[in-house]
Amino acid sequence: MKKSRSVGASSQLNGFGKQDAESRRKKKTAEIAQALNVTPVDVATLRRMAISEGGLLTDEIRRQVWPRLLNVSVDQIPEELEMIDRDNNKDFNQVLLDVQRSLRRFPPGMPDEQRAGLQEELINIILRVLVKNPQLHYYQGYHDIVVTFLLVLGERLATALVEKLSTHHLRDFMDPTMDNTTHILNYLMPIIERVNPEVYDFMQQAEVGTIFALSWLITWFGHVLSDFRHVVRLYDFFLACHPLMPIYFAAVIVLHREEEVLECECDMAMMHHLLSRIPEDLPYETLISRAGDLFVQFPPSELARGVHQRSQETAVSTFKDFELASTQQRPDVVLRRRRKEQQLQQRTLEAKHGKVTVARPTGATLHEAGGHGSDCGVGCCSVGHGELGS
Amino acid sequence: MADIESSFEFSSSLTSSSLPPPRTRIFKIIVIGDSGVGKTCLTYRFCADKFPDKTEATIGVDFREKVVEIDGEQIKVQLWDTAGQERFRKSMVQHYYRNVHAVVFVYDVTNAASFRSLPAWIEECRQHALGQEVPRILVGNKCDLRHAAQVSTDVAQQFADAHSMPLFETSAKNPYGNEDGSRNNSDHVEAIFMTVAHKLKSQKPLMLSQPPSRPGDIVTLRQEEEDRGLWGCSCWRS
Ligand SMILES: Nc1nc2c(ncn2[C@@H]2O[C@H](COP(=O)(O)OP(=O)(O)OP(=O)(O)O)[C@@H](O)[C@H]2O)c(=O)[nH]1
Ligand SMILES: [Mg+2]
Repeated sequence: MKKSRSVGASSQLNGFGKQDAESRRKKKTAEIAQALNVTPVDVATLRRMAISEGGLLTDEIRRQVWPRLLNVSVDQIPEELEMIDRDNNKDFNQVLLDVQRSLRRFPPGMPDEQRAGLQEELINIILRVLVKNPQLHYYQGYHDIVVTFLLVLGERLATALVEKLSTHHLRDFMDPTMDNTTHILNYLMPIIERVNPEVYDFMQQAEVGTIFALSWLITWFGHVLSDFRHVVRLYDFFLACHPLMPIYFAAVIVLHREEEVLECECDMAMMHHLLSRIPEDLPYETLISRAGDLFVQFPPSELARGVHQRSQETAVSTFKDFELASTQQRPDVVLRRRRKEQQLQQRTLEAKHGKVTVARPTGATLHEAGGHGSDCGVGCCSVGHGELGS
Repeated sequence: MADIESSFEFSSSLTSSSLPPPRTRIFKIIVIGDSGVGKTCLTYRFCADKFPDKTEATIGVDFREKVVEIDGEQIKVQLWDTAGQERFRKSMVQHYYRNVHAVVFVYDVTNAASFRSLPAWIEECRQHALGQEVPRILVGNKCDLRHAAQVSTDVAQQFADAHSMPLFETSAKNPYGNEDGSRNNSDHVEAIFMTVAHKLKSQKPLMLSQPPSRPGDIVTLRQEEEDRGLWGCSCWRS
């Protein structure tokens, strides 16, 4: 099954000039290699690389960096994977049903036999993690996340990383009930409200709800994006960030579609339908930046005031420990740095090509008013995450 | 997802050729039942007139729509295809029960457990305070797999009678009821949803609506006290 390791498509920098892109790519690859080679590994840099333009570039690199981002030591993963007793497994039927229907998640040209083998592995990974962690409950869509890890990492590594992810980032989705998931979805509208009250009002009037974003959130967009390159690019980003980042990204997608939303019939069904389909040609890099900006500008702690408080025991509240243990650096710092880099790049570009960039609704004010772009150390970044549950 | 999405058919020739009539009524139907019984396939069959070659697990709620003509009136039939997994039901799907005009319960004739779950689904409906006047039908799907059937028509019919629902046995895969899948007979799945639509239309001033010029403009007139209980109980069998 070694073959399965390279089935994921590698990402391309969708950048500006071809040569520019190529040289930046080379530079980035070197930087990543450097960060991996120092002792201890420079996780802060890796995190920054995962967020910044193009993400981790190739699946080859992802295989080395993703474990670092999740603080999984690869040499401690057992060589032998546990066998799974499918017959006496309470989740087997549902998992089987979902995996059998997951054909779209596999590269189109893949021979049936190879795909069938991977589907078997996919079932095994899921059941293994569930059996080992009885507090975790399977949900439809979990398989969309696991398949991404399988395609990039292969079965052994995927098992270890998925287990870590499930007990951290995905923990809330795997509760006995979906209450905490609903709670997280409740962040969506407040973010939209802060950025674009008109869109917010219109959506409220239509009573569209937030279920259109449910599959985005709980599959990290794996269920809804057909191009695997976009999926892994987003996974780079989310793995390097706070567990609530996917909901910021969801908000950014809605905001990006402002015009369509406002032109839509003000009706729940129509709007649900419009929003639940994600356009194929989203400018992912821009949207990633923007999600990062919004996270810094409207951190969860601030939004939480407007969001109905629920359980203290969310992944969000324990994220801090995990985060600090794994990296010594918080993602919001990285996000700010990325923002700065992008602005610099943008300026250079504008200077070079004389391009006029379309002003983003709040970006400029954020930069000018907030002073967030300044290179503050970890100490001044307490606005970040972790406060929600405390 | 591409082919599933193309099932969104509301802008078919019916509406694109001329201005929509001043009032297009909307019939909102929610489709519920265990995971895997074929809710997505049935709704897709009705809206896109074919069996999807690949479906995926439904996460949350999907929406499909088709404009049909009944007695010269154009009516939008909106189908809300819900997730089957139990954890999605309670807090998640709630929102979509509002203003529902009819409920379609689906079980899989080859899966007895999906039939045994029906009381739980009926109870869920009750909890969402759907009135007695809201028509309900029971659909046993996957009848093309007769040899593997675990739920007999008799047992299903008894259950349907006990709950005052008409029963339809059908197949999203082969709704024509022919061994070879040929299209000599009429499309049975279509007929089922059309029966519901007819029933709703016969309830008269059910819901008048048009794309509101201002939001919140929808006029809702509901006739609460029409015929209850069994209706149009001429059950097809494939
Ligand atoms: N033979 C046969 N198979 C069917 C029929 N309808 C659906 N299926 C198959 O049953 C499986 C489940 O169908 P879906 O429509 O995805 O089921 P669902 O009820 O929407 O399931 P959830 O979204 O998980 O709640 C798929 O593999 C379909 O191909 C049918 O009429 N005949
Ligand atoms: Mg479905």
